[in-house]
Amino acid sequence: MLYTRKTVWPLGIGVIMVAYAYLVQSGALADLIKFLGTARHVGEMGVLGYTFGGIAIVAGLWQLLAPPKEEGNADYFLSMVGGVVFIMIVAFIVKWGLDPLMGQWGRAAQPTLGFNFASVMNLNYVVMGILAGIIIVNVFKVPGWAENGVRLSRLGLKTGVILLGALYSLAELAHLGRLSVVLIGVFVLGSVGVVLWMGARRNMPNSMTGVLSAGVGVCGVSAAVAAAPVVQAKSTEIAYTIGTILLFGVLCMFLFPIVGKAMGMGYIQFGAWAGTGILNSAQVAGAALAFQPTGIETLKVAEIFNITRVLFLPIIVLWLAVWYVKREVGAQQVDLVQVVVGKFPVFVLGFILMFALSSTGIFAPAQHYQGSYFDNSDKAMTTKDKDGKPVSKLLNDKDLATLQGEAGKVQRQDQKAALQRLVENKKLMSIDDDDTLRGVVNAKLMSKAANDVLVKAHRAVRHTAKKIAMFRDLIAWFFTFGLVGLGMQITMASIKQAGGQPLVVGSIVGIVKALGSLLVVWLLVAETI
Amino acid sequence: MAEDKFDRGSALTVFTSDRYEDVMALVLSLLIALLVYSFI
Repeated sequence: MLYTRKTVWPLGIGVIMVAYAYLVQSGALADLIKFLGTARHVGEMGVLGYTFGGIAIVAGLWQLLAPPKEEGNADYFLSMVGGVVFIMIVAFIVKWGLDPLMGQWGRAAQPTLGFNFASVMNLNYVVMGILAGIIIVNVFKVPGWAENGVRLSRLGLKTGVILLGALYSLAELAHLGRLSVVLIGVFVLGSVGVVLWMGARRNMPNSMTGVLSAGVGVCGVSAAVAAAPVVQAKSTEIAYTIGTILLFGVLCMFLFPIVGKAMGMGYIQFGAWAGTGILNSAQVAGAALAFQPTGIETLKVAEIFNITRVLFLPIIVLWLAVWYVKREVGAQQVDLVQVVVGKFPVFVLGFILMFALSSTGIFAPAQHYQGSYFDNSDKAMTTKDKDGKPVSKLLNDKDLATLQGEAGKVQRQDQKAALQRLVENKKLMSIDDDDTLRGVVNAKLMSKAANDVLVKAHRAVRHTAKKIAMFRDLIAWFFTFGLVGLGMQITMASIKQAGGQPLVVGSIVGIVKALGSLLVVWLLVAETI
Repeated sequence: MAEDKFDRGSALTVFTSDRYEDVMALVLSLLIALLVYSFI
């Protein structure tokens, strides 16, 4: 069959992309960018706009003026460009338009509603990307010239999962308490087991059960994508899993802090519970901050538990590969080596490879945490002004006078001591001191001027590895591309076909996990791990 | 999108097998990592 169609659309989209990039770079859209608060994306707007716009114009002209007349690789690969640029222009709208706009509306409605609906409902580019795709396919249909290229979206998701490995490092593992590994291990593996058991009892398709178990057991989008190929899951099943997790997560984000406060939980207890019981990473952070708005102790514990879950991903994928072969083939004995060689997804190995590479410190200092690291050495505490002259980042006499004048407002012993060390050394001396004083800033114990000095001291010692920051941006783009394309493969008919079973099973297992982890944390976790 | 619309790959992928798609994702990721390592 001949894939390439004679159409003006890829060329048209290319012209729009290039024009947009030009308008952004020339400053003509400065007011709009300021309104949306997307100034930090101006660079990528130019790079991506010109790159994809240029590709679309070249391929679009070829497609329009001299389309291949016979089947072959030229026809097949040329026809993919239309789908890629179609997804990309939707992704541009979602990431640079809808995502920040929703954030604006959420903040604007906060005084009236009492909460930020955009943050609570998780209305970020992940959700809006899938929704945009679903709306396009069900309301307008994917145009014929884009159909072939839309099938590249899964490649985007897989690439995103592999690159995700670069954000973590072995050094983080050293910080994980044994209890967090055991607790998470029991609940991750337990949740997967329960979903598989319930799915079989309720006659759900093996592919749906498999992908739901990974999503509910580990966490969200990455896990669902990683598990999907080994159980041959359809796009609808991946989307259903993501939907179930996010819906359940919204409930948890509201309920966990209320229950935690009612039970008088400590920071570490609540962080452990939220990190174990809530299914989605962003919602874990939301619940932890809602529980303790005046400090970050709870958030840090919750994040440690959350990271531990991601590290179980390869184990779960292996388990599902064996389980699926057993269920589908009906084999009693499964040759593990044969399953790994034949079924284990290479891109999950890629995730492990990137994790290993990142752990060597080639992308950021080996002790980095998602690209952020602490460094208060003399070299790090010196920067250069625009004339190239060295400028010290140590606190100056005025800063020190401001802090000393308000030191009496700080009552907690650990906070007092950290403040004292900061004043004596003119810089933060350890990660712990940095964390402690961020709690002082969040609690607004001192005046704005004093808080500004603390923020200045924090920024002087905290550095973001540029390479990891680049990886984060790229991962976000690959996921946006993949999710918009995934949404474009989900029709209303396929959603009806999946029925309400996944939502029921996911919610039951989610509730059991939340209650089970509450009980275990309440009984076993003291204020220190 | 119906399965029979495409004579190469499936309704979900342009590649002939999942393994092929995985390898392509891995190659793409390593290429990106190399570029990030070299130029950023």
